[in-house]
Amino acid sequence: MQPTSSMNEEFLKKWQMGLQIFHPSIDNTSVHERKKAIKLSADVAMASLRKGTTCWSRALIEKTATEDNFLVRQMLSGIKAEALINKKLPKRTVCHRKIVRRSKKILRRKSKSASEEAAAKAKRLVKRRTQGLRNVVPGGELMSNDVLLLQETLDYIVSLQTQVNVMRSIVDAAEAEIER
Amino acid sequence: MSNRRSRQSSSAPRISDDQMIDLVTKLRQILPEIGQRRRSDKVSASKVLQETCNYIRNLNREVDNLSERLSQLLESVDEDSPEAAVIRSLLM
Repeated sequence: MQPTSSMNEEFLKKWQMGLQIFHPSIDNTSVHERKKAIKLSADVAMASLRKGTTCWSRALIEKTATEDNFLVRQMLSGIKAEALINKKLPKRTVCHRKIVRRSKKILRRKSKSASEEAAAKAKRLVKRRTQGLRNVVPGGELMSNDVLLLQETLDYIVSLQTQVNVMRSIVDAAEAEIER
Repeated sequence: MSNRRSRQSSSAPRISDDQMIDLVTKLRQILPEIGQRRRSDKVSASKVLQETCNYIRNLNREVDNLSERLSQLLESVDEDSPEAAVIRSLLM
């Protein structure tokens, strides 16, 4: 599972489109505003590669839309922008930690063997790390299904690698141009 | 798919051992450090998940840095210079 060259090309095209939308005002803005536009258009470009088929990409588009609704709509106007922005995401799962902790305490009292304790400890650690993953994957907190979370994570990582690779090439090339 | 050892709750299935092994394999191909380790099956699930989180955070940080560098670059380039034209052609 690697970023493909077609993914790279598609990302670049979409990112350039986003930058073009922002371009008219590019000379009158602060470095900070410009950086934000560069990053937001890169995120929308990355998310739109998935054409709404993954949870993380829909969540990312929604999140970006709250920061720059106009940019997102412009960039997605070819691909059913409305549908993607207003798409209903699954309900947030509320994890009643106190109740889970209490019932786990009761269960714990019953299993006394060392190996059982070790296994239980390992399971708790995995649970904690899985929750950590939910915090870094867009829309992760909406994925109660662990299997789905892992699948989305893999796809998200490949997409991030595409984003980083293309952006790095462009920035390196641009900096080399300046240093000539 | 065998779920012999993992208990299945109604709304949130636990990751079964088979699924975790499958994930470890896939992640190993993607993550830089884990791929180097030769002790194949002994890499714990929690370690894989932790490395994954760190890797994602690093990638996001790099995107942020690259955006900053690019923004600075555009700031420093004189609008009418040939460099600006080249850069513009890269970006648009």
